[in-house]
Amino acid sequence: MRISFTHRLAVALGATLFGLASLAPATLAADVTDIGYVDQAALSNIPQFTSANRQLADFKAQLDRQFASEVRGVKDANTQARIAQEFQNKLATRQRDLFGPLFQRAQVAIASVASSKNLSVVVDKRIVIVGGQDVTSSVVDLLTGPGDPIPPVNTPPPSSVGYVDQTQIDAIPKLKAANDDFQKFQADQQTQAQAKLKSAKTDADRQQVLKDYQSALADKQKQEIAPLVDQTRSAIAGVAKKRGLLLVIDRSNLIYGGTDITSDVTSALK
Amino acid sequence: MSRARSSNLARALLAAALLAGLGTFAACAHQDSNAAPDQTPAAADDGRVGYVRMDDLVKVHPLYAQLAHLDEDMQALQLKAVGSSVAQNGADIAKAEKELQHELDVAADQTKKALADKQQDYMKREQAAINAAVGAAAGAGPGGGGIAGSILANARKQQQQAAELAQKNYDAYRNQVAAQSDAAARSLQQSLAAEASRTYRAKAEALSKAEADYALQQETDDASERLSLRTKLSNLALDDDTRADVRKQLDALDQKEADELAAMKNRDSATLADLQKQLHDQVQTQLDAQVGDLRKRTLAKLNERMLETRRGLVAQLGAPAAGGGAAIPNGIGPDMKAKLQALHDQYQAQFNADAAQTIAQFQKTRADLTDRFRRIAGVDAGAQAGANKQLGALQKQRGELYDEMVAQIGREVKAVAQKRGVNVVISDVVAPAGGVDLTADAEKDIESLHE
Repeated sequence: MRISFTHRLAVALGATLFGLASLAPATLAADVTDIGYVDQAALSNIPQFTSANRQLADFKAQLDRQFASEVRGVKDANTQARIAQEFQNKLATRQRDLFGPLFQRAQVAIASVASSKNLSVVVDKRIVIVGGQDVTSSVVDLLTGPGDPIPPVNTPPPSSVGYVDQTQIDAIPKLKAANDDFQKFQADQQTQAQAKLKSAKTDADRQQVLKDYQSALADKQKQEIAPLVDQTRSAIAGVAKKRGLLLVIDRSNLIYGGTDITSDVTSALK
Repeated sequence: MSRARSSNLARALLAAALLAGLGTFAACAHQDSNAAPDQTPAAADDGRVGYVRMDDLVKVHPLYAQLAHLDEDMQALQLKAVGSSVAQNGADIAKAEKELQHELDVAADQTKKALADKQQDYMKREQAAINAAVGAAAGAGPGGGGIAGSILANARKQQQQAAELAQKNYDAYRNQVAAQSDAAARSLQQSLAAEASRTYRAKAEALSKAEADYALQQETDDASERLSLRTKLSNLALDDDTRADVRKQLDALDQKEADELAAMKNRDSATLADLQKQLHDQVQTQLDAQVGDLRKRTLAKLNERMLETRRGLVAQLGAPAAGGGAAIPNGIGPDMKAKLQALHDQYQAQFNADAAQTIAQFQKTRADLTDRFRRIAGVDAGAQAGANKQLGALQKQRGELYDEMVAQIGREVKAVAQKRGVNVVISDVVAPAGGVDLTADAEKDIESLHE
């Protein structure tokens, strides 16, 4: 009985959303752009997510107790690591089971709202300073409403906002080598600074150690990292211009839509 | 170590859960947008979309010096926390403990030697006094002192050997009883703590379940009303006023449930805090009482064994054996025996007083070293916790200051955007292309805040 009601409701909602999706652009395009944003913190507070978080926390507490009992008396580091890995896997599986369907649902809800409002891109609220459409409440309404959100029938329209996956760009050999080198340099400097701090006798000595440490890092960054950062920015800007984009943001700030130019940028940098 | 790593990973996974998951929204959507990469972007034109370089704007804000100062403080604290005098690492602590243990061993050896020297000294002095007394009693006869000395020397040797053996046996027994007593006290403590922990956990789980049940009950009670409101909100065609009204009703419903649940949780927290204190007091009282009994029984056992040992020695040698006094042989007259006993008692009392002083000095040294042990053992956790707390406070302060600065920058950027006719302004762009760069204008406005 209940399933049947939910099903009918979902179908009705789908029809409504579809109708709205085709009507919305005409009414909204006049005074807003096609850039929307979502407050992800607000999404994390909806009951389904808080409940999943609570369940995961309970499961983790239970696992912690089991782990403590299982690892007690085990002295071999490899065995300890193996047991720890098993427990981490269990936690990860549970996390996927709990959150996977929720994320999928949220994804559909965001796509549905974006489509109904004719948005080409939805970004994280933190990077929007002025303007844009806040679609958080509509997404929350769909997620907390009865039935499942209905996926949009159309794909996102081409967007003037591009994005790059910084992790892929960082993996380009010359950038990775420079980054690894800097990390190593930083670790060495830190060790040296700590040794000097141990033998420093006065506050002035300690201040000097810190100043030298910061200065060494800044010099190294300027010398090796800054030129590569400039080169990367320039490559991204070049690709963006070719593709007719206005802005390029990092993928971590993007939630929906946008134009991916990562592969063009990596090719340009190689 | 592994557990800590496991917990850290779990925490990181939990923290990342939402963001990581939301990242996947983009992943799927990206596939869609990638399907048609050559289509020309529509909508926003470069007259309406702008950007600012937030890092540059933060640097010209009047409060930037304060922010930079906080960053430096945090960096310094992070370096010190793992480096210098704030906290010592495991190897430093182990080294310091080893040095203190060595000092304690040296002090114990010195005390032992001092006591042995004193014992020898008092024995010699007592022996000389006894020899003189016996020699005087032997009177005019030639070699009286020498005969007495020979008898006494033999008796003393026998007594010394017997006393050493008895002491050795007694020491072994004492060590065994002390070890048993310590093990029993530890076991008792663990058992009481485990029992208290079980009681606390059971109560906490019961309260937590009751809270979950209550939350579910609230959910069920309000389900129909909520469903009705949600259904209304799901209608994207709803006009703004009606939507706001419905959302208000929904918020009121949520607030009512949240308040009721929060009140319940507050009550439960107070109950748990009371229970924790009560259990702690209870465990301490029981532990004090039972460990006190245990110690009394141990002491009684040791006293009994000591008396038994003395009785055995007296039976064997027929003379006082304690305290390293000189031997008083059998077969001498009662007057002389009484005189020698008085001499022995006098030297024994002097030795006891002297030894007590030496032992008191050693105990003071041991107490000082124990204090230093505690300080060293506590310095790592204490200093590390202190540094972390300080770091946390600085991070919070920095976060609040940064938010305040960004909010103010946002207001300035908004004004600039209005002037320039830009509808949307984004920060943190990876690279600009055709959007309007408002950074320079915003910088000027923000710099004017200094005046």
